[in-house]
Amino acid sequence: MAKETLNNIKLGIFISSGLLILIVSLYLVGRNQNFFGSNFYVRCRFSNINGLIAGNNVRFSGIQAGTVNQIQVIDDTTIEVTLLIDKKMKPYIHQNTYATIGNDGLMGNKVINLTPNMVPAPEIVDGGLLYNKKKPYTDEMMETLSNTNNNVEVLSRKLISTVEQINNSHALWSILNDTTIPKNLNVSLSNIKEATVRINDMSAVITDIAKDIRDGKGAAGSLVADEKVANDMKQAVAHINNAAQESEVMVARIDSIVKQVQQDINNGHGTAHALLKDTMLVSRLNNSMSNIEKGTAAFNKDMEALQHNFLTRGYFKKEAKKNKKAMKE
Amino acid sequence: MIIFMQLRVNVTEFCIDFNCMKIPSSLLGFFNEIGAASRFVSRYFQEVVQPRYEVKQFIKQCFLIGYRSLPLIGITGFIMGLVLTMQLRPTLIAYGVVSKLPVMVSLAIVREIGPVISALIFAGKISSSMGAELGSMKVTEQIDAMEVSGTNPFKYLVVTRVLAATLMLPVLSVLSDAIGLYGSYLGVNIRDHTSLSLYFFEVFNTLKFGDVLPAIIKTFFFGFAIGIIGCYKGYNSSKGTEGVGRAANSAVVISSLMVFIIDLITVQITDVLGLN
Amino acid sequence: MAVTDTYSPDDSTAENVVIRIAHLRKQFGTRVVLNDFNVDLHKGESLVVLGRSGSGKSVLIKCIIGLLKPDGGDIFVLGKNIADMEHAEMDQLRSRIGFLFQSNALYDSMTIRENLEFPMRHHLRNLSNSEVNDMVMKTLADVGLAHTVDMMPSELSGGMQKRVALARSLILHPEIMLYDEPTTGLDPVTGREISTLITEVQKKYSTSSIIISHDMHCVKMTGDKIAVLIEGKCYALGTYEELERSTDHNVKQFFE
Ligand SMILES: Nc1ncnc2c1ncn2[C@@H]1O[C@H](COP(=O)(O)OP(=O)(O)O)[C@@H](O)[C@H]1O
Ligand SMILES: [Mg+2]
Repeated sequence: MAKETLNNIKLGIFISSGLLILIVSLYLVGRNQNFFGSNFYVRCRFSNINGLIAGNNVRFSGIQAGTVNQIQVIDDTTIEVTLLIDKKMKPYIHQNTYATIGNDGLMGNKVINLTPNMVPAPEIVDGGLLYNKKKPYTDEMMETLSNTNNNVEVLSRKLISTVEQINNSHALWSILNDTTIPKNLNVSLSNIKEATVRINDMSAVITDIAKDIRDGKGAAGSLVADEKVANDMKQAVAHINNAAQESEVMVARIDSIVKQVQQDINNGHGTAHALLKDTMLVSRLNNSMSNIEKGTAAFNKDMEALQHNFLTRGYFKKEAKKNKKAMKE
Repeated sequence: MIIFMQLRVNVTEFCIDFNCMKIPSSLLGFFNEIGAASRFVSRYFQEVVQPRYEVKQFIKQCFLIGYRSLPLIGITGFIMGLVLTMQLRPTLIAYGVVSKLPVMVSLAIVREIGPVISALIFAGKISSSMGAELGSMKVTEQIDAMEVSGTNPFKYLVVTRVLAATLMLPVLSVLSDAIGLYGSYLGVNIRDHTSLSLYFFEVFNTLKFGDVLPAIIKTFFFGFAIGIIGCYKGYNSSKGTEGVGRAANSAVVISSLMVFIIDLITVQITDVLGLN
Repeated sequence: MAVTDTYSPDDSTAENVVIRIAHLRKQFGTRVVLNDFNVDLHKGESLVVLGRSGSGKSVLIKCIIGLLKPDGGDIFVLGKNIADMEHAEMDQLRSRIGFLFQSNALYDSMTIRENLEFPMRHHLRNLSNSEVNDMVMKTLADVGLAHTVDMMPSELSGGMQKRVALARSLILHPEIMLYDEPTTGLDPVTGREISTLITEVQKKYSTSSIIISHDMHCVKMTGDKIAVLIEGKCYALGTYEELERSTDHNVKQFFE
């Protein structure tokens, strides 16, 4: 019996050591092959993968980062490659990191090289898409930014001239005896004034951001890559664009009213006729004004959001400081 | 398998039928043998799942078959690792890739040499002893005695041995791989200097699941083939001392051959599956 | 002397018949070993089967215990036809039959104790260790070999091995004993010892037996009745004295 127990112990040690070695080596092999442990997927697209196959290595700046997991043909010019990347590499891979196919070793094995972008961007997400061209996203964003800025400048000029025109139209003030119009007009005007100030701010901020991106500064890169900021900006521009168009229409209408009233008075039709036309025109004017109000209000809201977005907040604060300083001087 | 079973059943008639057609009786004997072996294998699979289970005897066989084979297989693995390293070194130096020595050796050991050498040694040691042991038990009516004692001798003798061989060879093979790699590490260190951790880092950096898993899986088949052939030969050995000797001898020859055939099949399968 | 060519199996339910072999036929390939073999074993009786070497005596008792399957005829053991038996039923029946193999068939990788415990591991599974030990020691003592309990079979002489084998076949207290040439291969003195032992245990365990032998001393000592197996048939059946006096040439040659 004692001998049997001893034999069982020996057998137990024998089997356990075999299993232990097996498990440890599978773990070590797996760690190398990203089979076990924590990994995440990243996609990238190529037009030609040059014989890359599933299982090829993925290197990040030359460091083993993962393996090619899957290759799929999306359409006749696009092949999507799914990479299995070690989670430990995640903080270093950004949304603007770009992927290229290179050669590995003498045997002609293919390898995917992930190269970090100089421009900072947010960390890659699981299943995110990497680009295979250098800095496409930044270029695109810079273009958008400068377009936005141009638009904003034009709009701001238009709005300012509208406000001035309305303010300076003495004839308008004299004929409009409807009590609601001056009130509405006042609200619209104040909205417009606020909007123009903000437009100036925004223009300055965009200029700042563009400059930072060109200089390769920290937060700017991630800002450009942030979809929410880009959307907010686009939306703001669209809203203010509407407001500006409406105000142009309104200015044209006011002009025509003033001209007609003057003509009527000159032709001796009297104020009664003018008043008749007035009610019709007033309703149109009111309509325009409410549109302006809506547009500017929406724009202001967008700007508010941008001012509080943690990515752009800094820029707006800087701008406010600058404005204060300018006011003092 | 069914065809073979029928063939076995009808083999006497076949002999008569075909004699006039001059079918060599050795060919019929061959088919008869394959048919009988197939029946033996299918009986094994029937009995291995049916209770009652001879657990104690199985553990005893694991000890005898597995643990007792470790020294022999370990020494062989060690020598193979060492020798392979020393033999490969000059060639790798000539091509300027001596740093790939751990890579080459680990691939060779893990994929092929570890499993196959272990299996061959195992076949020599285990298959022959099974053939002789069961053969002599058959001849001295011990198997009949078990049967009349209410113990199913197939379960008690064959199932436990085959199962133990199937499960122990993979363990032995893994240990042999490990010992072989250590031997190779020593082989590297005869001329060069490398730390154990660096050496094994290189080894595991090279190995993929496609190298390790098929190699381990095939050892189960090796173990099964070795066990079942040894038991089949012993269990069906003819009367007399000569029959026992023949059983032991043919068990070794056939199971060694079978190891290579299974190896060939595995390499084809892994190739088709793209595991290399 | 009684030549059993007018055998009728109708009274197979007769109370004191423990084994009835009726028209038993067994062949290997084209070689017919047993052909229309008939014999009855009555309760408490010991029947000796006499036959030349290779005449099919071992085949006969292997058919009785189910190690070989008959090609024809019926074997009733303790009132039941073994051909109709399920596996479990056959196992149950085998626990009531002791079988002493010609070659002893001791498990040579086991100690004497383990050899004797082996039949119990299946049939008496719920015995405690001390009960098992008691049974082993008692049965070994019955054959006079209590001191060999922890030896290996290879350490024993031929006669001792035969006695251990006898002890192993007796350990479950079988109702029927089948002895296959118990004295063959032993020297005359040891052979006589074994024969004496067999008659002793017959009495002590009150078994009905079939004894295969061509050792006339053993036959005389152990057999109540003798069946002569010639050309696959029960050629003659009678007591020792009856057959000794037989004038039949085939029977006579055994007694010369
Ligand atoms: N398993 C078997 N296969 C083929 N032939 C057998 C088998 N067992 C016995 N025989 C044949 O049956 C005949 C009787 O054998 P057996 O009963 O052992 O003789 P004995 O009367 O000496 O005990 C022998 O000729 C033997 O060749
Ligand atoms: Mg015999």
